[in-house]
Amino acid sequence: MSTELKNINETVMDKIHDGQLKMRPKIYFIAGSVFVFVSLVSSMIFSVFLFGLIRFSLRSHGPMGSYRLDQILSTFPWWSLFLAIVGLILGVYLIRRYSFSYKLDFKILVIGFVLAVIAAGWLVDVIGLNDIWFRHGPMRGFMRQYYQETI
Amino acid sequence: MDDLKQLTDEEVVEIVRSKNRDLYAVIMERYKDKLWRYAKNLIGDNDLANHIVQDSFVKAFINLKGFNAKQKFSSWIYRIVHNEVINVVKKRRREIPLPDNIDFSSDDDQEKDFEKKEIADQIEKCLSSIPLIYSEPLSLYYIDGQSYEEISDILRLPIGTVSIRLSRAKKLMKKICQQN
Repeated sequence: MSTELKNINETVMDKIHDGQLKMRPKIYFIAGSVFVFVSLVSSMIFSVFLFGLIRFSLRSHGPMGSYRLDQILSTFPWWSLFLAIVGLILGVYLIRRYSFSYKLDFKILVIGFVLAVIAAGWLVDVIGLNDIWFRHGPMRGFMRQYYQETI
Repeated sequence: MDDLKQLTDEEVVEIVRSKNRDLYAVIMERYKDKLWRYAKNLIGDNDLANHIVQDSFVKAFINLKGFNAKQKFSSWIYRIVHNEVINVVKKRRREIPLPDNIDFSSDDDQEKDFEKKEIADQIEKCLSSIPLIYSEPLSLYYIDGQSYEEISDILRLPIGTVSIRLSRAKKLMKKICQQN
């Protein structure tokens, strides 16, 4: 061990006394946590909505829709699938930033998160939320525009 | 001064944050030797270890209000040193790849004589020769005396992974140390 190590205390304390080192305020860390949380929730809502939209698009082809595979494929909202996957990846990245996440098996965490989002998207469509958005609410214009594009 | 000795790290940190910055010297005094040895064992360079410890103390002070006093301070400060070591290793690109001919198959007889206290000195000598992912848990467990849970908190790995890495590290150490 060198004398340099012995001087570390003095060097760091001098910097503190000179004002070169200052503690970041508590609000900085609170804001960081809030930002991560809001981003995580947003990415989840975004992905859930897009997965719901994918199911809505498959359903909106009407009866016998399954026989019109070409039409489904040509009008399938690939962009929403892409964005939903991006949202999922972002969500997984944000989950990793939480200090508890490393205590769990990462594979299970990711699979659970992805399944939960897809299931929620499916549920949104099953309970009729997409149909409500189609008729009312802030997403009305978007859903109708999308519906007209696909038929 | 005797009163300070009675205080836990977390209590001292609370005072540093709220009342008296000067007590940060107490924290540094408690940890600098341990952290220096930890960094030195992983990096194998005295001067770099000094820089790592100093930078870690600087970062710890700046982010002290982000430390959750319900957790262990030692895990938090070791985590900072771990991050600094990783940064240095990435910079220097001197992580040694795992030799292809290393066999991790069970070797209970060899492990029996690999008892904690007896091997601590041997570990210190060979530590910088093995990959970081194995040398870190080994150093933390045998030299710094950290528990599996603390190592899990420092390295942010599940406890099961810590256990596997320690087991592999012991076998790897034995083979590499015997070769040297």
